[in-house]
Amino acid sequence: MITFENVGMRYGMGAEVLRDVSFTLDKGSFHFLVGPSGAGKTTLLKLLYLAHRPSRGLINFFGRDLMTQERETLPRLRRRIGVVFQDFRLFDHMTAFENVALPLRIQGAKRAQVADHVEELLSWVGLEDRMHARPATLSGGEKQRVAIARAVINKPDLLVADEPTGNVDPEMSRRLMHLFVALNKEGTTTVVATHDDTLVRSMAAPTLRLDKGEISFLPGGSPIDPGE
Amino acid sequence: MWGRTLQFLPRDMREGLLPWVIGVMLFLCTLALACGLALGRGLERWSAGLTTNLTVQIAVIDDKERDKQTAAALTLLRATPGIVEASVLADAEVVALLSPWLGEMPFDTGLPVPTLIDVKLSRPDAVNTAGLRERLVAAAAGAQLDDHQAWMGQVLDLAAVVRLLLAGIVVMVVLCTIAIVIFGCRAGLATHRESIEIMHLMGAEDSTISHAFDQRYLSHGLKGGLVGVILAALTLYLIAHMAQRMGQGLLTASLPTGDNLMWLALLPIVSAILTMLTARVTVRRALLKMM
Repeated sequence: MITFENVGMRYGMGAEVLRDVSFTLDKGSFHFLVGPSGAGKTTLLKLLYLAHRPSRGLINFFGRDLMTQERETLPRLRRRIGVVFQDFRLFDHMTAFENVALPLRIQGAKRAQVADHVEELLSWVGLEDRMHARPATLSGGEKQRVAIARAVINKPDLLVADEPTGNVDPEMSRRLMHLFVALNKEGTTTVVATHDDTLVRSMAAPTLRLDKGEISFLPGGSPIDPGE
Repeated sequence: MWGRTLQFLPRDMREGLLPWVIGVMLFLCTLALACGLALGRGLERWSAGLTTNLTVQIAVIDDKERDKQTAAALTLLRATPGIVEASVLADAEVVALLSPWLGEMPFDTGLPVPTLIDVKLSRPDAVNTAGLRERLVAAAAGAQLDDHQAWMGQVLDLAAVVRLLLAGIVVMVVLCTIAIVIFGCRAGLATHRESIEIMHLMGAEDSTISHAFDQRYLSHGLKGGLVGVILAALTLYLIAHMAQRMGQGLLTASLPTGDNLMWLALLPIVSAILTMLTARVTVRRALLKMM
């Protein structure tokens, strides 16, 4: 479904942040993305959620070559991708309900169609009582769940999460991961970037490991070097 | 949030000044337009009156001779085709005309004043003034025909320059307003850059994002336009009121009033559309530089 072939990425005239990155994400697969700070995880994630084009190499998204796509076609592709940011990136002046409804509104859904769907999803992430709260009044875990709900409201084909458990306690971390697993079971290809080795081991999912801009693949269940 | 436009931009207190700045610009623009229109309307009426008017002056010191020449000139004028009326101005009117130079004075000072004959034409080109001038001098040696053309030409030239200047002021104010909106819009884009990026990543098209700015700047332009036009209308009303009290007929007749003020009501709409279009172009160009 998503293929990277010899992808290289540099910012401006700087050194390459990613070098010859090649991998494939099959439909409905679940991958962790790990690696030390500065390894290029954020850059790879940006390529995955179409915030950047690579400097070189081929990226195929849902059967389309990204390098040949016109800028005007990108919104359609992006609507098939859900993103959970480490810092949530919620709109502070909107309520939880309005934040979650945004992707549907962008696609032109009517208010009546949106309401039931958003309420159902917020209930699913345990925020049925906080629908009309603004992000400033939400805890870190609640914000993260709003961000996840926003990322999955339009049933994306690909879900990319950057350190989704980085700002929450272990119990909330487990609950969030259960959400990702449940989504993945419904067919959403999922990539979760994390530093949490315990989390990775507990899931025993295949892992993409980045180090100094180069990627390696660890099949599901492989132990992670504790020294990382 | 649930309007036709997906408004994702938070209210920015710094943008609160923009309508006031637009208001000041529109106030200046409206005053310049009103002055230009008033000047045009005043000159139109005034020149229309003068081009169908001639003045014949009989400047002869001897009273009897002056009366004789006046009678001869009147006979000639009234017999000339194209002249609908030729009448001698009363002494009181002539003295009143001289008063700005000689001050108030009684009629019987013994000072000889010329006789003035006011001539009304059926239309501006009804009479060949050069031929009439020759015939007048033949009939009354002391007669001088003034068709006001030389003086009126200078006044019209001056008026044209003033109107050009006012048009220049309007153009400069409009350009200045556009520049202010562009700066404001770029500041808004920088402030909301992260929100715009998130919208893009959620699949928003450029049009969705720029509509949010359109809506915001349409509102700024409309508010600013209303402020500017209301202030300008009050100012024009005040000037008209003061001029009326002073009895300055030309000025009060020229100022836009009543139906003529209807065009003022269009200015806030023009301001809103101009502001919105400027914002749209600025935002679209900026968005094209983003992925």
